[in-house]
Amino acid sequence: MSRMPVPIRSALAAAVVALAAVAAAGCDGGNIAGDNPGSSGQSFVGHSYESTFYGVGQRPDAPAVSGTTISGQRLSLSAYRGDTVVLNFWGSWCAPCRAEAPALAELARKLGPEHVRFVGVDIRDQPDSAQAFMQAFNVDYPSLNDPADQIALEFHSTVPPAAIPTTLIIDRKGRIAARVFGASSYADLQALISKVIGQTA
Amino acid sequence: MTSQATAPGGTGRATRLGISGWLRWSWRQLTSMRTALILLFLLALASVPGSVLPQEGIDPAAVTQYYQSHPALAPILNRLSLFSVFAAPWFAAIYLLLFASLAGCVLPRTVRLVGSARQRPPRAPSNLARLPAAASYSTDQGPAGVLESAAGLLGRRRFRLRTGEGWVSAEKGYLREVGNLLFHIALLALLFSVSLGGIFGYKANRLLVVGQGFANTPTALDVFRPGRLVGPGNLQPFSINLLNFHAQYVTSGPELDQPLAYNAGLTYQTQPGAPLRHYVLRVNHPLVVDGVSVYLIGHGYAPIFKVTDGTGKVRWDGPVPFIPVDQTTLTSEGVIKVPDAQPSQLGFAGVFVPSAVDVGGTLESAFPAALNPRVSLVGFTGNLGLNSGQAQSVYQLDTSGLRQLKMTPRALTAGQSLKLPNGLGTVTYVGYQQWVSLAITYDPGQLPALISGFTALAGLILSFLVRRRRVFVRAVAAADGGTLVTVGGLARSDAAGGFETEFAELAELLRAQHGGTAAATPAAGPTHQSADAEDKSTENKSTENALADVPEAETAGAGADRHEAALTRPDGE
Amino acid sequence: MPINTAAADTSNGLLLSTVIIYAIAMLCYACDFAFAKHRVLAGVSEQAAVAAPELVAAGAGGRSVSVSESRPAAVAGGDTPTSRWPSGFWLRLAFLLTCVGVLVHVVAIFTRGISEHRVPWGNMYEFIVAFTCMTVLVLVAASIRYRAYYMGVFVLVPVVFGLGIDLTVLYTPAGSLVPALQSYWIAIHVTAMIVAIGLFIFGAVVTTLYLVADRSERRIAAGLPSGAAGILRHIPGAAVLDRLSYRSVLFGFPVWTFGVMAGAIWADHAWGRYWGWDPKETWSFITWVVYAMFLHARATAGWRGRRAAWINLVGFACLMFNVIGVNLFITGLHSYAGMS
Repeated sequence: MSRMPVPIRSALAAAVVALAAVAAAGCDGGNIAGDNPGSSGQSFVGHSYESTFYGVGQRPDAPAVSGTTISGQRLSLSAYRGDTVVLNFWGSWCAPCRAEAPALAELARKLGPEHVRFVGVDIRDQPDSAQAFMQAFNVDYPSLNDPADQIALEFHSTVPPAAIPTTLIIDRKGRIAARVFGASSYADLQALISKVIGQTA
Repeated sequence: MTSQATAPGGTGRATRLGISGWLRWSWRQLTSMRTALILLFLLALASVPGSVLPQEGIDPAAVTQYYQSHPALAPILNRLSLFSVFAAPWFAAIYLLLFASLAGCVLPRTVRLVGSARQRPPRAPSNLARLPAAASYSTDQGPAGVLESAAGLLGRRRFRLRTGEGWVSAEKGYLREVGNLLFHIALLALLFSVSLGGIFGYKANRLLVVGQGFANTPTALDVFRPGRLVGPGNLQPFSINLLNFHAQYVTSGPELDQPLAYNAGLTYQTQPGAPLRHYVLRVNHPLVVDGVSVYLIGHGYAPIFKVTDGTGKVRWDGPVPFIPVDQTTLTSEGVIKVPDAQPSQLGFAGVFVPSAVDVGGTLESAFPAALNPRVSLVGFTGNLGLNSGQAQSVYQLDTSGLRQLKMTPRALTAGQSLKLPNGLGTVTYVGYQQWVSLAITYDPGQLPALISGFTALAGLILSFLVRRRRVFVRAVAAADGGTLVTVGGLARSDAAGGFETEFAELAELLRAQHGGTAAATPAAGPTHQSADAEDKSTENKSTENALADVPEAETAGAGADRHEAALTRPDGE
Repeated sequence: MPINTAAADTSNGLLLSTVIIYAIAMLCYACDFAFAKHRVLAGVSEQAAVAAPELVAAGAGGRSVSVSESRPAAVAGGDTPTSRWPSGFWLRLAFLLTCVGVLVHVVAIFTRGISEHRVPWGNMYEFIVAFTCMTVLVLVAASIRYRAYYMGVFVLVPVVFGLGIDLTVLYTPAGSLVPALQSYWIAIHVTAMIVAIGLFIFGAVVTTLYLVADRSERRIAAGLPSGAAGILRHIPGAAVLDRLSYRSVLFGFPVWTFGVMAGAIWADHAWGRYWGWDPKETWSFITWVVYAMFLHARATAGWRGRRAAWINLVGFACLMFNVIGVNLFITGLHSYAGMS
C-alpha cells in the first residue's frame, strides 16, 4: 500500500507536538517562594543549601559595589581590594539569615586577621531593625543598606543573588569565586573561604 | 489496511495483526474524527472540576479552606490532582493526544493539499441527471460552441476547468481546505507559543509600599515563578520607585464603596544608570518596560509603627503592610515582628480600620478610604520562631512560642502609643501609608500566541465561507440539429445550503448564453445526498469519481475501506 | 460623571414596553399557527407532504434525508425566489410587532448607555438585556434572510421569559464601572460575546425544534402516531431546521472564538496573563470545545443529525452556565455580576 510513509511522517510530527506539549505542561517551574512550606510570602527565601565554587579561569569580575551602610557611612568594596571579601545578602526578618548570623559573626572575627573582610547587604529592612539585629547577634562587620535592591541588581549579569540569604566570596583580585544560596554553617563557610584563598592565583 | 499474518493451517479463526499492524491500526484510530470527538469531549469534561473546585494556582487560600471544610474528601481529591487540574498529568494526556490526533490528521492533508495544488477537476459523470443539482435545456448552437462558451463562462467565474470529449468539468472552492488546515495548524502554533512562554517566560509578584522601590531581581520578588529555562540572571534589570497611590471611591448613592479609579504614580528605569521615567500605573494600563509588563493588581494600607523595647531603643520604625480581609471596606489585618527587641522578642497582631465607626461596641470600617483610621493591637512576647531558620510568612504570627501580653484593648489614632506591661516597651501608631501589589510578567510566547490566534480565526472564517463545489456541462448533438445541454453540479461540503442558488444562477446564465429554449428544469429522481451518503452510496463509478477527490487511478479500492475514504477526502465536510 | 437618572428611567420604561410588545408578538405568532391557512409555507409544506411518502420509501433507520436539496428552485432553507416577506395577517402583525419591539429594545439599551456615560454592559442585568436583544435581532435577520418566520413564537418564549426574570429579579440600577472594567475592551470583548450568545440561543431553539420535528417525522414515517405532528404543519421540515441550526453555529462559532481571544487580550492587559483558568475563562473554553465537537460531529459519518443536535444543546447548556451560572455560583476574577 502506498500509505506506508504517511503514518511515519505523521508520527514524527506528532512526536514533536507531544514534546512541545510536555514542555508546556510541566514548564511552570513551580512557585518556589509561594508554594513550598515555610515560604515567607516576601522575597525569595531559600530554605535549602547550595554552594558553588568557581575555578580560577571561570570567575567573573565583581561589580564595583558602593553605598551607605546601615549606620549611615559610605562604604565601597574597592577599598577592600587585596583582601578576600565575603559579601552576605541578608534581612533581619529572614529566618535562615538569623540562623546563620552567629556563624558569620564568629567567622568574621576569626578570619579578620587573615585578610578576609565580611560585608553585609541588608535587603528590605529599615535601619532600626537592622541595627537591632547586629546588636543581637554581635555582628561587628558593616552592612550596606539596600532597600531598593540596587546593589543586588549590580550582580545581575554576573552571579545574581537568587535567594536570601546569599553569600558571595570575592577573591583578592576582585573576582567572584564562590556562591552560596541558603543558610551556611560555620564549617562549610570556613572551608569554602579557605578554598578560595588557596586557589587564587 | 493491515499487515496480516494468517494463522497457519487455516483453522478459520480471525487472522492476527502483527505489531506494525496494531500500531497502524492505533494510529488510524487516533487520527479519526470519532477519536477527535471523544477527546474533545474529554477535554471539556476534564475542565469542569478545574472550574468548580478551588485551584492551587489561582487561590491557594481557598484550597486550604476546602481542606478544612472537607477533611476526609480533600486528600483524595488532591491525589487525583483535582486541586491543580490544568497542570495534572491526565489533563496533559488528553490535550497531548488531541494535538497528536490533530497533527496526525492535518499534516498529511497539508502535504496532500500542496501536492494537489495543480490537480485538475474530475471527469464529468456520464449521467448528470443523477447529481444533486441538475438542469437541462436545448439550444440551436453546436455542441463544440456550447462547450467552449460554457468553459469561458465558468472560467471567468474562477472555476478550475477540465475539458473532454463532449463535456466540461469545473471545480471551485479550494480555499476551504486551506482555511481548514490553516485553522488547525494555527492551533498547533498556539500550543507552541504557550509552551514558549512557559519555558522562557516568568511571572512574579511584588508588594510595594508608597515611598519604596525595588529592582527586578529574585531577592526583591515576593513570588517568583520562572519558566523552565529562566535563571536569576535572565531577568530584565529594571527598577521601579513608587511615588504615590490614589484610590477613588463612590461616595454616595447605591454604589457606595465601589472603587472608581486607582492611580499609582511611579518612576522607573530600564537598567541601572538609565534615565528616570515617569508613569501613572492604573488597572488596564500596565507599564511595559524592557519587554516586561507590570500590572497593578491590588492595594491596601500599611500602618506605620514605632516600637521601642525595654531598653528604650527604637527597634522598629516603619510601615507594615496589612492585608485586607474585607475587600469592600478594606478592614485589614497584619503582624509586626520585632525579633531583636530586648529583653524579650516582641510581636503584635493588629487590625487596621480605615473609616472606623463604632457599631455596638466594636469598630468597623464604613468606607474603604482612610477617613478615620484606627488601629487596634494585641501584643505578644516570647520566641517568634525566626531564629530557628525555618522561614515564616511575614503576614502571620506563629504564637506557639509566644505568650499574649495583658493590655487593655484600645483603638489607637495616629500618634497614640500603647505602653506594654512589665517594662517591655511601647508601640506607637504613627500614621498610615498605602501599598500596591504588582504583577510582573514576561512572556515571549505572547505575541506568537496572538498571531496564532488570529490566524486560526482567519482560517476558520475562510473555511466557513468557502464551499467546494463542482459543475459539469455535457453537450450532445440532438436529432433535430440542435444540442441538448445538461448541467449538473454538487457541493462537497454544503450542509449549510446555498449551493442551489448558485447552481440555479449558473444554469440560468448558461441557458441565456446559449439561447436555450426550455427553462432549466430540476432533476427528477431520488436524491443521493442523504446525510450519510458515504455509508449508503449506490452511485455508479463515474458519479463516484465525481464525488471523490482523487484522480480516477487511485479510486480502485474506493469501496473497500471507510476510513480510507474519509482520509482521502480533503475535508470530511 | 453623575448618572443621568432621567435617561435611566426612560430605559426602564422602554424595557417594560419591550417585554409587552414581545409578549403580544408571541401571541400573534401563535395565532398565526392556529388560524392562518399556511399560505406562506404552502409551497414548502406541500413539499413536506410530498416528501413524506418518499421518506416512507426511504424507510428503515430513517436518517434525516434532506429532501429539499434535490430541488434547487424551491428550497425552504431560504433560497426561494418567492417573496421574502411574510404573508397572512397574523404573521405580518407578529413580525411587525417583533421588529418594533426590537427597535424599542435597542433604544432602551441606548438610553441606558447614555445615562451611565458608558457602554451599557457592565453587570448581569445589562448583559441579559443585551443578549436577549441580540437573539431577537437574529430572529429578525433569519426571518428575512432564510424565511424563518415560523421560529417566531419559539424564540420569543424564552426571550420574554428571560427578560422578565431579568427585569424583576436581577434588576440593577444604572451605575458606573469598577476600575477593572474601565477599558475600551469592554466594547470589543463583551460585544462579541453578546453577538455570539444571541446566535447560539437562536441556534439552540432551532435545534430543540429540530429534535422534536425529526422524532415526529420518524414516527410518522414508521406509521406511529406523533403528538408533534401538528407543529410539523407549520415548519418546513426537520432537515431545514437542521441546516438553520448549523448556520447559526457557523456564524456564532467564529464570533465566540474572537470573543474569547479578545477576552484573553484584555485579561493580559488587566491582570498580567492572557489565560489563567479563571472559572469564566474555563467555561468559555468548555463551551468552545463543545461547539467544536458539534462542528466535528457534522463532519463525521454517523454523527450528523440527532447526535450533533444533542451536542449543540450540551454546548448551549455550557454556554448558559458560563454566562449566568458561573457568576451566580462561583467566585473568581470575573465577579462583576453586581450581585452578592
